[in-house]
Amino acid sequence: MANSHHRRLEVTVISGEDLRINDRPIKNNAFVTVKADSCGLPSSQDSTKPDAQSESHPCWDEKLHVDLPAGSRYILVEVCRRTSSAGDKLVATAWIPVSDFVGDYTPENYLHFLSYRLRDAKGLRNGIINISVRVVSSSYKGTLSSSSRLPPSVPEFRMPVDRERNGGTVTGMPVWYPNQWKS
Amino acid sequence: MGGCLGFFSDVKGGQQAVGGTRQGPMGGLEVGGGGGGGGNHGGPNDAVDHFFRARGQPALCSQIELSLSASKLRDRDVMSKSDPMAVVYLRKRDGMLEELGRTEVILNSLDPTWIGKISLAYHFETIQHLVFHIYDVDTKYHNVPVKMLKLSDQDFLGEASCVLSEIVTKQSRSLTLSLHNKNSQLGLRNLGTLTIHAEEPVASRTAVEITFFCSHLENKDMFSKSDPFLRISRVVESGGTLPICKTEVINNDLNPIWRPLCLSMQQFGSKEDPLVIECFDFKTSGNHALIGKLQKSMADLEKLHKERNGANFTLPASHHSHEKVLKSQLFVDQFCEKQLYSFLDYISSGFELNFMVAVDFTASNGNPRNPDSLHYIDPSGRYNSYQQAIMEVGEVIQFYDSDRRFPAWGFGGRTYGGTVSHCFNLNGSPDGYEVEGVEGIMAAYAGALHNVALAGPTLFGPVINRAAQTAGQSISYDNSKYHILLIITDGVLTDQQETMDALVRASDLPLSVLIVGVGTADFTQMEKLDADNGVRLESSTGRVATRDIVQFVPMREVHRGTISVVQALLEELPGQFLTYMRTRNITPRTQMPL
Repeated sequence: MANSHHRRLEVTVISGEDLRINDRPIKNNAFVTVKADSCGLPSSQDSTKPDAQSESHPCWDEKLHVDLPAGSRYILVEVCRRTSSAGDKLVATAWIPVSDFVGDYTPENYLHFLSYRLRDAKGLRNGIINISVRVVSSSYKGTLSSSSRLPPSVPEFRMPVDRERNGGTVTGMPVWYPNQWKS
Repeated sequence: MGGCLGFFSDVKGGQQAVGGTRQGPMGGLEVGGGGGGGGNHGGPNDAVDHFFRARGQPALCSQIELSLSASKLRDRDVMSKSDPMAVVYLRKRDGMLEELGRTEVILNSLDPTWIGKISLAYHFETIQHLVFHIYDVDTKYHNVPVKMLKLSDQDFLGEASCVLSEIVTKQSRSLTLSLHNKNSQLGLRNLGTLTIHAEEPVASRTAVEITFFCSHLENKDMFSKSDPFLRISRVVESGGTLPICKTEVINNDLNPIWRPLCLSMQQFGSKEDPLVIECFDFKTSGNHALIGKLQKSMADLEKLHKERNGANFTLPASHHSHEKVLKSQLFVDQFCEKQLYSFLDYISSGFELNFMVAVDFTASNGNPRNPDSLHYIDPSGRYNSYQQAIMEVGEVIQFYDSDRRFPAWGFGGRTYGGTVSHCFNLNGSPDGYEVEGVEGIMAAYAGALHNVALAGPTLFGPVINRAAQTAGQSISYDNSKYHILLIITDGVLTDQQETMDALVRASDLPLSVLIVGVGTADFTQMEKLDADNGVRLESSTGRVATRDIVQFVPMREVHRGTISVVQALLEELPGQFLTYMRTRNITPRTQMPL
């Protein structure tokens, strides 16, 4: 499977667009947490500082480091708003398939600029998050290696078949047939 | 600027930053209402570009200066050596020569190095044929200004011709040609050689990225706080000011911090030139209230940044008050100087464009034997739409690809195997998908028409994925190749979602996709893929396109100006190339790899 390595990722959270709470643009103090989906096991996570300005288009430009254990299929990006009174409130989430930056045709240490649709707790669209991801190092079965130019692996077009949301809705995703282009 | 054309209530557009926007990696994010798709070339020419585009003329591009020298010229004079002068022409589509300029006359030399330079604009999207004539100027004309000389009265020494792209793609940016007679008779006598050197006379590649914030701004709004934005202008010689950029509007904030502005030296002149910075309170009526202004040069702003000091705004004197120094201050949070290389800088350092073609073999084109078919090969030699598109794009790009090996595919046809393939090698070979040169593509296309049965449906997904695979894999070998996929199709897409997914996945790769629609189908759906309205493509997995990599044009669009509609597609390419390179901080190589 694509993710048989334990990887360390450098995720730069660049900016967000069009974020809303209760249909009004989020005022300030939004911050982002990035963590790997590790199927319930404890995992590392990292967060940005809250952006005190910029209404619905916050700009963080912050580098975060996250461990991606072998077997993880997604990294989870959560946008929250820090309020002095009510603590942290979850605004929106994006699930980023690891296959979007690992195991595609690009070299292991390629800097990927990715953007994702964010969805709120009800599963409704709530803005876009712009990040960049780079695999800093990967290790296989205990051997640690800094990522160098590994030959591209066989492409896997794995798309998530289902994702469960807090609201109980399930989204069906098309399953890809690899090697579609060979005559 | 684009966003202001007659839209009274384009308040959102009016609030966007203009002129100093950063080249963000995310397509629609950083470029505001006034920037437009062509804004990647850099702020200062946006308005002028728009002016020309609106009138159907190609946008302004980089200026190039040609320097000429020759050696071993023929000796025409009896008593002394020849007195040579060079004239440079542009050969136009109809074959006529348009004079671009002349050098000065150098006395008594068969190996002249002329000082006079010839300027011309470099247009990536067209082939610029240059013709050079060398003359020996007779002694009796030596005091006549060069411009007034009648060439028919002078002695012709030799002619040479080349294409401008041949010169600029060389690392030395120089090309040496043998001179020959006017009738192209490769004469018995050696007429000497001519060397042409091309240079971009850009004063400096320096740009500054600067972040401003203010404190204690005055409140100009009655029921809420001011909505401030900054406008930066340059002081011109006549004493007036010329605006060069403005920040975005921050609502309701008396201590705003704006997004970083990126200004090139072409915009602000030099670091010592005075700049006027005005802070306005945004009003939807357009009548923005001045909060304060100050005058500083770039060097002063750098000092403010280093010393972490603020500069006070002033309110200019009016008829009922003196000039007031305000409590409001301007601070420079970040100040970063960087080098902005031009497209030609990359090209001459060895960066290349890899051209790939995909041809539509669906049944809707019509039986190729039928003269009505879009695939009909006219025995008289007249190109069909497919051949025209391949030639027009290929003949420009071929100069930027050193090995001239182009991947060529067909889709929607039934090949020898009997099954319909949506990505088969155009040359009919089972494993080699590359052909040699544009003529190789044309030959493979003609051959495929005999061997492939038109079928369907029209799917772009497989071809785009294949091109993305090529682009992604090439990064492992070297990151100096940028790929261009040309898809020529007659019909409407059947796999809209898969195509969008493939494009979103490819949007982070060094790839641009040009789609040409031939025939008379309704292509409105295709225009959705070309996200010029700012809406970023979204895939079915929630991923959004990193940048806009698609350009679409229907071939039947009316001819505008002197370039064909297909070549108009190419105009955006240098901008897309630069956006990709700059966001990844990939700079031109200083040395060619061995």
